[in-house]
Amino acid sequence: MPDTFHPHIAGPDRFGVTKTVRTIVNGVPVTKDTAAHTSLLDFLRDALELTGAKECCAVGECGACTVIMEGAPVNACLLLAVEAEGKAIETVEGLSSGGQLGTVQHSFLKCGGVQCGFCIPGMVMSAEALHRDNPDADETEIREALSGNLCRCGGYNRMFDAMRDAAGQDTHLTTTEPVTGKTIGANISRLGGVERVNGRQDFIADIDVAGMAHVKLVSLDTGRARIKRIDASAARAVPGVIDIVTAADLPDPMPRFGPAYRDRPVIAVGETRYHGEPVAAVVAESKDIAAYAASLVQVEFEALPAVTSIEAALAKDAPLVQDPAMREGDALADTNILKTMAWEWGDVDGVKADLVVDNTYTFPMVTHFAIEPHGFIVDAANDRLKIWSPVQHPFLLQKIMAQMFDLPLSDVQVLSPDPGGGFGGKQMPKFEPLLAYMSRKIGRPCRLILTLEETFQAVRRAGAKVHIRSGFSKDGDILFHDIRSDYQIGAYVDIAERVTTKGNYLACGPYRVPNARINARGIFSHTPPSTAFRGFGTPQVNWAVESQVNAAARQLGLDGFAIRMRNVSDKGDQVVPGDVPADGHWPQSVQKAADLLGWDKPKLPDRGRGIAVGIKAGATTGLSNSTVRLLADGSIILFAGTSDMGQGARTIFAQIAGDALGAPYDRVSVVMGDTSAVPFDLQTSASRSTVFMGTAITRACADIHAQVIELASNRLGVDECDLRVADGKIHLPDGPVPIFDFVQNMLSNWNGELIGHGRMSKPTDPDHPLGGTPAFFEFNCTAFEVSVDTQTGEVMIHRHVTVGDVGTALNPLQVEMQDEGAAIMGLGHALYEQILMDDDGRIRNLGAIDYRIVTSKDMPARLITGMVENADGPGPKGAKGVSEGAILCTAPALAAAVTDATGVAIRDLPLTPERIWRALQTQIDTEERGT
Amino acid sequence: MKPFDYMQPKDIAEASAAWASYGASARLLAGGTDLSVALRHGKIATDLVIDLKGVVELQPDISESSGHLRISAGTTMTGLIAYLGAHGLFPSLVDAACVVGSIQIRNRATLAGNICNASPAADTVPVLAALDAFVEIYGPDGLRYRPVAAFIQGNRQIDLGTGELVAAVHIPLPLGKQGCAFDRITRRRGVDLATTNMGCLISGAGAVTLAFGAVSPRPLVLHDESGILGDPMAKAQDRAPVIEALTAQARPISDVRANADYRSAMLSVMAERSLAKAHARMAGGAAHA
Ligand code: FES
Ligand code: FES
Repeated sequence: MPDTFHPHIAGPDRFGVTKTVRTIVNGVPVTKDTAAHTSLLDFLRDALELTGAKECCAVGECGACTVIMEGAPVNACLLLAVEAEGKAIETVEGLSSGGQLGTVQHSFLKCGGVQCGFCIPGMVMSAEALHRDNPDADETEIREALSGNLCRCGGYNRMFDAMRDAAGQDTHLTTTEPVTGKTIGANISRLGGVERVNGRQDFIADIDVAGMAHVKLVSLDTGRARIKRIDASAARAVPGVIDIVTAADLPDPMPRFGPAYRDRPVIAVGETRYHGEPVAAVVAESKDIAAYAASLVQVEFEALPAVTSIEAALAKDAPLVQDPAMREGDALADTNILKTMAWEWGDVDGVKADLVVDNTYTFPMVTHFAIEPHGFIVDAANDRLKIWSPVQHPFLLQKIMAQMFDLPLSDVQVLSPDPGGGFGGKQMPKFEPLLAYMSRKIGRPCRLILTLEETFQAVRRAGAKVHIRSGFSKDGDILFHDIRSDYQIGAYVDIAERVTTKGNYLACGPYRVPNARINARGIFSHTPPSTAFRGFGTPQVNWAVESQVNAAARQLGLDGFAIRMRNVSDKGDQVVPGDVPADGHWPQSVQKAADLLGWDKPKLPDRGRGIAVGIKAGATTGLSNSTVRLLADGSIILFAGTSDMGQGARTIFAQIAGDALGAPYDRVSVVMGDTSAVPFDLQTSASRSTVFMGTAITRACADIHAQVIELASNRLGVDECDLRVADGKIHLPDGPVPIFDFVQNMLSNWNGELIGHGRMSKPTDPDHPLGGTPAFFEFNCTAFEVSVDTQTGEVMIHRHVTVGDVGTALNPLQVEMQDEGAAIMGLGHALYEQILMDDDGRIRNLGAIDYRIVTSKDMPARLITGMVENADGPGPKGAKGVSEGAILCTAPALAAAVTDATGVAIRDLPLTPERIWRALQTQIDTEERGT
Repeated sequence: MKPFDYMQPKDIAEASAAWASYGASARLLAGGTDLSVALRHGKIATDLVIDLKGVVELQPDISESSGHLRISAGTTMTGLIAYLGAHGLFPSLVDAACVVGSIQIRNRATLAGNICNASPAADTVPVLAALDAFVEIYGPDGLRYRPVAAFIQGNRQIDLGTGELVAAVHIPLPLGKQGCAFDRITRRRGVDLATTNMGCLISGAGAVTLAFGAVSPRPLVLHDESGILGDPMAKAQDRAPVIEALTAQARPISDVRANADYRSAMLSVMAERSLAKAHARMAGGAAHA
């Protein structure tokens, strides 16, 4: 049981003042001691082991901790356990106590409301309370009832559907009944979905490792500082504190790590480079003791000037973020520039344009805000490392840890519980190395679960400043783009170099652009490391480029749709000269988005419409392996190194294998998340898994097909040439038999199994700027219809349309859910999200209260998802990767609609009411400086 | 979080005595939706939490007596909204209470707590100030009453002496028709702290009170002397300078939620909107609305 004292440890019995609580939990009377300061959430999770309710924000904003007390939903994080005295509490575990899902849980699953599932236990409790109270609630009431629960994975629209479904207004999306027959192309409900709605899914914070101790980080209330002295004596004196670690306790020189550059220290040494960089870590018998003791660690420091913006970092005499000594041989070592990159084609300076548009755009730093904060457990016992981390790339973590600790890969085991949302933020190692040192030092497993505030300080998306000059013919042909992009990266590189490269390489977007010059730079700053984030580096530069296209359209008297139909590449057309051409009929998606929006329909006078497109390069290299075991009764165990963080990889994989081997969907189990059990997979990123792992699984199944034929030939005495496998069936001389049935007959006595291996690899091409050609493009077209309250600057979204070019939707519902999730995250970026810094390099809006994301009440009046399917992708059945497309062009489409409605063009994100109001005040419509 | 002790006094005398003897080392807990956040984030530390929810005199209760609506300190926002809705009372307070956090928060947060937390952005406070509400304070020396607007002395500062606690909130019941309204500006539609907010009251006689939140450490209560704002027939161009002159008294600050000039500008926008609403309510005319 986490967070309580372990009886074998000498020391105080309890931290804090012991009280006894008598409550009724899910109908069962409970009498239990607790500390007076313990929250109801900790009491439920730690003392009662009811881990369904989750902690995210701990300030009453996210609702992940929602339970029903005396019939009313409440935030368990805001209540003390002692306040529950004499009260009846219901948790998510109570909704399906008989093993049967409750009505609302069932509807959530059926309607596609569940992705990573981290928000779901809380969401379901709010939904349940509404359903009991007011089953026929209308959409306004539903939006209100769910507005205290944040979900970052989807749009909330599927949850609105679920409420209607629960009320008996059948919305029929997926079937939760056992499925027989083919599943590809059907709306199959999510594998692992039941555990996500009933609260049984174990996320990192729900895992209890015997003997584990609890870690809390100590950081400074400033950005950059020189650490002068750390006095931990008061903290050490707290009973239950096991140890306190600072740089002085770690090897000298400080070990450093990173996916590309080994620049990130295990813990700050000498100087902190961003707000939140830990300078010490306390390990104690409980998380409460660790947190309290951490607050007693005295750090004497001298605040140093920090650069927290691109301008400041590039200023003459700006303090250097990274020590030039660490960048030996790097010509840029005495600047804050990480790297410059340049691509050019055609003749930008030679071309004569009828119209030149010249502007600068900014995109702020934003944070992932997965509802699950980061967490880690490391056990360094027996000279091995066993690491629990909800990481997107378990094998990368394994490699980095093996290198740092000089261990064979076979002695580093990464167990990766499904992430509660990743979005790129959970790709790279963070505090696993620190925990490994601490675990070694104290001889016990160490656990660290970050707060949401600390999660914000761990990683983020790069901000950007893009200066762009674009030339057009008077008919609206794009003649050139001349782009200078600066990406604001953090104090350590993480994966930011690749983000900058990959985003800017395709800066010109999905168009035929005859002349282009792209100069991009990564700029260090005293801010948390910037890492991968849905869309990678594309949304930033695409904000600028698409806004340019819209600006040109306005000046040329064209509309946004017309100028795109004129320039967007069709299949086979050039994108970047010399690289792979367009892999889809992209104008079809543009047309479809326009149709779904009603682009050519008359609009009300106060309405504005806007449209934009975007492409992102899919994975450029990769290696995915899969092992598929076909058991004697026809059931299947599939092994894949992918992380299912809500995108639904497990479901797609089970569909592919089930169909290929003729087995019902519910007879496939998927094993993931253990580097000692599953074969190597490079990573879960760039929307690759359906294409890469899906192909590996298809090939593993083909391997089994060959064995089935061999088996049939041996047992039935038929020549192999007279046997074939298709559609999950073996075609025998007297007719086809599903493999599922066939192996039951053939293997039942023998009781063996058939094992298939499959692999998809796309090797590195050292001559390609991206290390390889994109395996596919994600193309999206987004369109909006809005109105703007010109007095307050508030935007009302009437329609939000997103259309992706998906190749083939293996599970259309899941494709739509991913698309909606990306669209709504993009909407958050466009309207509200930004990390605000003060002059001392502190983040001013840490946590859920002042960093705003989309809630149920902010959802567009209508969100419409469409897709174009031409079976022209490289994945199984012609699938392409999806899940990032809809975030690529949300902001420029929305901004164009705002301009259409108001006449003002805004070039800085987010489009907050205040910013729009300010633009309206000054009518800074100087944009269209056409020449 | 620093550990603390917890007590749940049974009656108000016991609560007051405990509060008096522990003083600054103790904190009063009502709904707890603000206190737990502050404790958890180390913004405040305390040795003792005195939970008022067991106090018999403070149990949730709303009653009408001698021309007032009396809302006991234990009344949650949810309870308040239900009562006012059922009785057709103070729609402006309903509107304000409905945007205090999420449903989960409103099921715990109390009206008295919203006042005592003394956040400049509290949504119910300007409404209560405009309605001339006052708090009933229990203390060692008996009961005293203070207008809400005076009770809040600054950002997170209230007029509570040793051993004193707020027992109830009183709102004068209108004698005849009146019109009231609430308005706010936020960064998003979903749960949000107000960038600015306001309450507005038009009395039966046409006297207009505007009270603004989040533009000064205390609620800014303004009275229209011109009579123009109370005139439903007045033209917008006549109202504008009056509103302008009134709102010019506000001294908003710039913070993470907005810049001062935006806040300032929003005051007249809100004033116009809420006057229109209050006039409509007056005309629509349930006796108490
Ligand atoms: S509301 Fe309780 S954890 Fe967020
Ligand atoms: S499903 Fe809601 S946060 Fe992931």
